[in-house]
Formats: sequence, structure tokens, C-alpha cells
Amino acid sequence: MGNLNVIAIVMVIGLTIFTVGLAIFVRRFTRTTADFYLAGRKVGTIANASAISGDYLSAASFLGVAAAVYASGLDGVWYAAGFAGGFIVVVLFIASALRRFGEYTVADFAYGRFGSDRIRLVTVVMVLLTSLFYMAPQMYGAGTTWTVLVGAGVFGLSPYNTGVIIVGLIIMFYVMVGGMKGTTLNQIVQFWWLWTAMFLVVVFAFTAGKFSYPATLAEVTAENHRDVKTYTVADLTADDGALLASAEGAMSPEAFEEVQAVVDAGDPAATVGVLVPAKNKLHTLRDMFFNEPGHRYNSFDQFSMVLALVLGTAGLPHILNRYYTNPSGAAARRSTFWVLIFIGTFYILAPIAGLAGRQIIDNAWRAGAAPANASYVDGLLLKSDAIMPTIAQILGGEWLMGAVAAGAFAAMFSTTGGLLIASASAIGHDVYEKYINPGGSEARKVFVGKASVLFFALVALGIGLGIPAVGLDKAYPALIAMMVTWAFAVGAGAFVPMLLTGIWWKQTTERGAIAGMIVGGGGSFFFIIMNILKQLGRLPDEGVLAFMGSLTFPTLFTFPAALLTIIIVSKLDGQLPKNVDEIWMRIHGTASERHERDMGTDKVGSMFSSGGK
Amino acid sequence: MASSAETTVRTASGIQMQHGDHIDTIESVDAVFRAQRKLSFAYGAVFFVVTLAIPAMSVWWESWYVTPVWGGFTVNYLVVSLLYYLFLWGLSYTYIKKADKLDENLSHMADEIAAKTAVAPVGGGENG
Repeated sequence: MGNLNVIAIVMVIGLTIFTVGLAIFVRRFTRTTADFYLAGRKVGTIANASAISGDYLSAASFLGVAAAVYASGLDGVWYAAGFAGGFIVVVLFIASALRRFGEYTVADFAYGRFGSDRIRLVTVVMVLLTSLFYMAPQMYGAGTTWTVLVGAGVFGLSPYNTGVIIVGLIIMFYVMVGGMKGTTLNQIVQFWWLWTAMFLVVVFAFTAGKFSYPATLAEVTAENHRDVKTYTVADLTADDGALLASAEGAMSPEAFEEVQAVVDAGDPAATVGVLVPAKNKLHTLRDMFFNEPGHRYNSFDQFSMVLALVLGTAGLPHILNRYYTNPSGAAARRSTFWVLIFIGTFYILAPIAGLAGRQIIDNAWRAGAAPANASYVDGLLLKSDAIMPTIAQILGGEWLMGAVAAGAFAAMFSTTGGLLIASASAIGHDVYEKYINPGGSEARKVFVGKASVLFFALVALGIGLGIPAVGLDKAYPALIAMMVTWAFAVGAGAFVPMLLTGIWWKQTTERGAIAGMIVGGGGSFFFIIMNILKQLGRLPDEGVLAFMGSLTFPTLFTFPAALLTIIIVSKLDGQLPKNVDEIWMRIHGTASERHERDMGTDKVGSMFSSGGK
Repeated sequence: MASSAETTVRTASGIQMQHGDHIDTIESVDAVFRAQRKLSFAYGAVFFVVTLAIPAMSVWWESWYVTPVWGGFTVNYLVVSLLYYLFLWGLSYTYIKKADKLDENLSHMADEIAAKTAVAPVGGGENG
């Protein structure tokens, strides 16, 4: 039985009730989809930007970025920079055009732009794939946070599994009663809660934790970077105990004694956490240091990760959906600027928390004051994804931990709820209503929608439970950020080439777009699965399969391949939609906005304009 | 989803869309498209060159990722953790200013082109 953090748990329950209550309350005023979007049109730029930021920040940003920095140093910092940079691609290439075209979803855009049922179905499949990749880290974050927060399971389940199941059930309830994806108001509250919690952790680190950004970075970098890994005794003693000797060199004598005791017990299947020197994958002849690149990524992946992150944002269906709530293309751009300010400041703070964790958690552990619910190896967290609640408890006790844990759960509820709705509507609305039973009764459609929510919630729950079962949590040092970036990679491969060419190249044909989505999305999915298999040791160390499995992020390969495929197939195909001029005018025409400007309906508040606008 | 105020008109030379007093013709839309494409792709080129230059220097320029410049900060760490955001904010701010100005100019240009190219409908209009 772990330590119950009563105050923190009460705060989490309080925020959960507040969030669900707000969703129910606001739903009374948003009875229809049209009401929802009209309400969005009345929201000012700052509020809309807060809502987009709240939609964007999931468990990956809140728990995963700090964890990635804690585990991987500079390679982890890139998650923050890349997540923020993605919005530049959105504002430059996507936002205004999508707002003008006026479709709600990526599937609607594909159908409206290319005019075929076939492309709608392919898009639906890709939306489901992206959503599942995005849901998995939320559920993993739920289990990890529950473990640190509550430290206990129910009905004989582990704390992790209990967390996944309880959070999964709450999300199911949240979606059922809250209906449509969290309201604008809920997203705003959630974002500012997350931002404040992250800000407080960093402020406490500078004050209570005696943290200094440049000095701590120098201190952490003074020694070779070390990895926390879990091995069996058989692994440690193989090859004349090479791994064991390596661990002995990387660990303190006291900590290594505990490892040695497990080895001496003689059970070859017993597992034990050890520290081993990290290898530099980028500059293989150099030692690995915290402030240098190369802990996670070789030269290919350095570029590919950056591309996946900055392109992936423009391929996230639930983010693109929000752009319709802007009253004009100009307002969409202004919202994006404020999003960049809001999430930019958040992403500057998150790596500070990750670095502070290296120092503060280690100090607390050596002083015997580290939270008991987390697991450590010689002062380092066994699971880096537990860093945020752990460092919060050390720095600010249960109150700060409660704020952090409540923020994490709110992010999971909102993001997973939104993804469940997106997945369910893809099946219920885009497939069932359009193709399987177009004439079905309203009650039947609602039933299919709810059944879809239930199905995808159970799938998400199953994935959450399956992650430790297949050993994925041990295969990657900062799993939450990694898994979300897989979703980015699939989105970047499947949707961004189709959106870019659909918006900016009139000659794009339906066949070209479909081929590009299959190459980009399917290719990304294939390479990610291969990488997972390689990390789990299911692929050979050399040969073609090993090479395919070595691409942590395939975007550097899949994005240009998808783009090229669209261009080549479109050229060969040459069959444009009959109403391509009309479609083109809907994407790039400005008469509507000029009319709205005349009517004064394009104004929602502006920081850039003065005087008349 | 088309605006409820939209009217699509089919003419002998193509289609045009009308919202209130404003008309889009394919000629005016193409002109707007080309100007917007030039602006977006120019800023896009700057964004990708700078963004991809960072990992490029991480791969090929040792001083960039090894030499400390402030405590434990290398230039590489400083750029990715702090300075990159200033670049993003500056880029998006200047882009939005230029895009707003372009919108303003294009709205006049589109009206002028549409006035020259818009023609009387041959088959009547349809609400879109």
C-alpha cells in the first residue's frame, strides 16, 4: 500500500467534478452544433487562443516534455520547441484557407476538396489511426500519475492498472454526459490551470529548490549522462557480467550493493533497475552529456524528429477543427499568434522543470525525503514520466502535487474525451450515417454514436493496460512524449501533404491525394511499428529489417514521399473535380471576408490593428 | 460549408461568387492566391531553413553543441530552450502584420479585378 496523498486527491476530485459540471452546465446553452460554433464566434482572440492551447496541451506536454528532458537532456528539449514550432506551419499554410473553406473536420475538407466518398473513408481511417496513437500516451499518463498520487490499486490490480481503468471509466462518463468535445470555456480553464501549475513548479524550483538554470545545467553536465534501465539478472550476468560491470561504474557503491544483492540471490529471471552510461547516438565517438544532442537520436532522427514535430501539429484533426471557431482568416492568424505566446511560455518552463528534477529529486532521494510512491534507482526516477507529480510533491508538498495531478488528469480528460468524440463521429457520422444506414432513425444514430464512444474508450483502456504488459514502458526512456510524437508523425505523413497540396496546388487530384495519404500515413505507421518491434528486441540487429526498425521518426522519409506521390499520381491522373474552380474560390476567395468586414462581423478584438479595425 | 449569404453565379465565362456587394471571379481569386502564396512560402522558407539549421549544426558543427557559453548552456541548448521561441514569436508577428496588410491591399485589388471581369449571369444565380 502506497502513501495516500489526501489533500492532492481531494484537489483532483474537485477539479474533475468542476470540469464535468462545467461541461454539463454549458451544454444547456449549446444544444446544437451550430450553437456551439456561433458561441465560438463570440469568443475573443485571447479566449479563443486559450481554448486552442487547452485543446493542444495534453498529458504529453504537461507530463511528457519535462520527462523527456529529465531522461534525455537536449534531445528532450526539442519536444517543447517542436510542439510550439508546429503552429507556424498552421498559421502560414493552413489556418486562413481552412477557415475560408469552412469545413469542420479533415474528413469534411477532403470530401469537399476532392468530392469522393473514397477519400472520406481513407481520411477516416487515418483519423482513427492518429487518434489511437494520441490516446495511448494519455492512458499511460493516467496510470503513471495515479501510481505517484495514490500509490495503491483496487481489487488486486496494480496502482498503474487501477489508474488506467478508473480514468478510462471517468472519461467514458465525461464524454457521455458532456457530449461534444470539451467546451470552449472548459478548454480555457484547463489551459490556465496547466500553465499556472507548471509556472508554480518552476517558481518553487528557483526558490525552495535553490535551482539555477545555467549552474544546474553545468552541474548535471559535469558527469557523463546515465540511463535508468531494468534488466533481468540473466542479462546482467551475460557476457561475463559486462553489463553488471558497466552498472557498477555508473552507480554509487551503496546503490550498487542493492543490485549485487539481487544478482547474488541467483534467480536469473529476477529484474532490477540499474544505471548504465548513456551512449551518444549522434557523435558515436563522444561520451554522452546532458546538454549535448545524441542521447535519443542519430543524425537521421535529429532531422526527422524536428520535421515530425513541426509538421505534425498541422495534421492533428482536433486542432484543425478549432480553426472554424475564428470569425475570419485574420482572426485565425491572430489567435495563432497568441497560441504561440501562451504555449511558448509554457514550453520554456517545461524543460526547466525537467532539468530541475535531475537536481532536486536526486537531492531529496539522498536526504531520504523523496516521495515513496515513485520508484528510484540511485536517485533517478525509474520512470521519468512520473517527474511532474514527484518534483511537485518535493517542492510544494501535497498542495502543489494536487495542482499538478489535477492538471494532468484534466488534460487527459479533455484530450481523450475530444479524441473519443472525433473517433466515434468518424465511425458514427462519416461511415454509419453516410454508407451503412443513411435512412436510420435519430435514436439509432445516437445509439451508434454512443456505442462507438464505448468501443473506442475500451480500446484506449486496453492500450493503456497493454503498454507495460508488452514492455513498452521499459523500451523507451520517456514514453509519453515519444508516443505523442508518433501521432504527430502519422498526422504529418497522412494529412499535411494532402492539406498543403489541396490548398496550394490546384492540379491535385483525388487519386493523388489518396495515394499520398496512404504512402505518408501508412508508411509512418509501418515504420513506427517496426521501431517498436526493434526496441522490444523482436527484430534482428542487422539487415534490412533492422534498418527499417532504426527510424525512430520516419517523417524525413514519409513526408517527402507522400508529397512526391501526390504530385506524380496527380500528374498521371489529371482528373480534376468538375467544379474545381468553385472549390478553388471557396478556399482562396475573399468576397465573404470583405462582406463580413463591411458588416463588422469579422471583429472579435485585435492586438495588431489600431483605429478602425 | 458555404456562407449563407453566398450566391454562386454561372456565367458564360465561368462562375463567380457573390457575398453582399463583393464578388469573387476566378481571375480575382487567382490573383489573391498568387500573392498569398508568395507571402506564405517566403516565410515558410525562412522558418524551415532556420528550424532545420539547428539540427544540421548539431550534427556538423562541434562548437555549436560542445562549447559552454553561459554556465552549462551551449549555444545549441540556449537556442532550442529559449531563443527559438523569440524567433517563432518574431516570425509570426511580422507575418501576421504583413498578411493583414496584404489582405487589405488584396481586398481592393479583388474588387477592382472583379469589377472588370464579372459579367451578367446567363443561367441565373443559386444560393450556395
